[in-house]
Amino acid sequence: MSSSSTTETVAPNLFAPRRRQLLSKRHSTALSIVSTVIFVAVVVAIVFWAPGGVTFRHFFFDPHQMWVAFTGNHQGLASVGKGILTNIWMFCLCEVLVLILALGLAWIRISTSPVMAPLRVLATIYTDVFRGIPILLVFIIVGFGFSELNIGWISHQTPTFYGCTAITITYTAYVAEVYRAGLNSVPQGQILAARSLGLGQAATMRRVILPQAVRTVIPPLLNDFISMQKDTALVSILGIVEAVQSAQIDASQNFNDSGLVVAALLFLAMTIPLTRFTDHLIAKDRTRRLAGAQ
Amino acid sequence: MASLLVFATSGATAASTPSLASCRATLSTLEKHPGTLTAATDNPGYTPWFVNNTPSNGKGYESAVVYALAKELGASKVSWVTEPFDASYTPGYKSFDFDINEISYTPARAKAVSFSVSYYDVNQSIVALKTNPIVKNHTPAELKTYQYGDQIGTTGLSYIQNYIKPTHAARVYPTLNEALTALQAGQIDALVIDTPTGQYMASAQLTSAKGKLIATQVGQFPSVGEHYGLLLQKGSALTACVDVALNALKANGTLAALQKQWLGIYNSVPFIKP
Repeated sequence: MSSSSTTETVAPNLFAPRRRQLLSKRHSTALSIVSTVIFVAVVVAIVFWAPGGVTFRHFFFDPHQMWVAFTGNHQGLASVGKGILTNIWMFCLCEVLVLILALGLAWIRISTSPVMAPLRVLATIYTDVFRGIPILLVFIIVGFGFSELNIGWISHQTPTFYGCTAITITYTAYVAEVYRAGLNSVPQGQILAARSLGLGQAATMRRVILPQAVRTVIPPLLNDFISMQKDTALVSILGIVEAVQSAQIDASQNFNDSGLVVAALLFLAMTIPLTRFTDHLIAKDRTRRLAGAQ
Repeated sequence: MASLLVFATSGATAASTPSLASCRATLSTLEKHPGTLTAATDNPGYTPWFVNNTPSNGKGYESAVVYALAKELGASKVSWVTEPFDASYTPGYKSFDFDINEISYTPARAKAVSFSVSYYDVNQSIVALKTNPIVKNHTPAELKTYQYGDQIGTTGLSYIQNYIKPTHAARVYPTLNEALTALQAGQIDALVIDTPTGQYMASAQLTSAKGKLIATQVGQFPSVGEHYGLLLQKGSALTACVDVALNALKANGTLAALQKQWLGIYNSVPFIKP
């Protein structure tokens, strides 16, 4: 502060912005706390004082109904807690399959060799078609269609098998495009440099291009996987009793939707860690890039 | 405040049942859209409850019941709205006077909505492809060994869980269409459904590509006291009047005649034990 008295014209320009910044930061923290409190208060007020507030809370947030929905009823069919396990293992399995298959698909799409031309056309058609069809239709076509074809073991699988197949087919198309964007983002110079060092085509891909491409696309990849976690709920159309279907069974028996809130909470518990992790990776990547730019 | 008053009056009148004459006189004050009786059902509506998926044609048992009920109550006009089953039981305001959609009365459900008295006492039955072993082997012990499937929220599904108690958990589909597709695809052995709907599936709906009937109604289970009721907004003042009118239609033989007309061909389904 003493410097401000010696060189009056320059010092305020040097330090004042920082001071203003600190002050406004405190100011904005206070503001954001106040606005958050008001927002929560308004929501709570609506839920508690609306004419139908009691009915609303009973219909969606009845603790007893929520517990019954979570543990399942005495008939042992609809337990949201048991149902979510189906969502989790389907998601885990599909994620691995999609990561592998989509990379292959992206690889085909960015290949330049003339021999690969027919495969490139097929890969393009594949991504166009399966990104364009609502996933629910893929579930129905794969889930019921494969059985009706009546060809050996492929027609005698469980609905969960067909559900996983449909998820994998659709998300491979999405994720392949993410991979492709990542692969294309690696500068041509990197490839030329790798080749000039004597690395073969495969080695260049494995050691130079892929590591850089994958690092760039991790946030969008995780974004797709969060979306996939939620889409596992759609397999219920094939008769699979997963978390949301369990909640709906409870709802239809008791005419109370608290079970759906339980399912929503379980999905949040599954996706929020992944979304936070994605944010963390994005922030880290940004810091790294900015550091590199200086 | 107005709604509170109506609720209070309905509570008072529920104790002493209103007369049909007083219901006719006050009908327009009880209707959601005065001058029109607004009935709701799901889309599609299945035969024999509705015919050609057109509730307003007066054909099919439920459609016919609504028009008979409207006549009994002296309603000048009936209009139809679509109400999916999942939406029918949400609390709060409903835009329809009543929903008629093969909804079974249960005490748990009656906590969320109001039900009229029964307009049809229903039995559950088994529908399966003609080629499935269940057609020949369906002793109570054998029934437990099959893979069942059903539409969510149906009493057929509850019946499977409470009475058949199969070793494999039943598969549950969002609508009857997926359940039927799964049956045709051989993913489930059988579905449990009310006898009239099941008979229609077996006798007309489920056909091969060449138009041959591929399903059969294996048999129906003895009554467990299940019945269908009209679903009304919780505490609806119309409930008492609908009950009075339905009881009158039961007493003068109208309901029995309509059952004979629309569901009559379904009386020859053999009984089996769960």
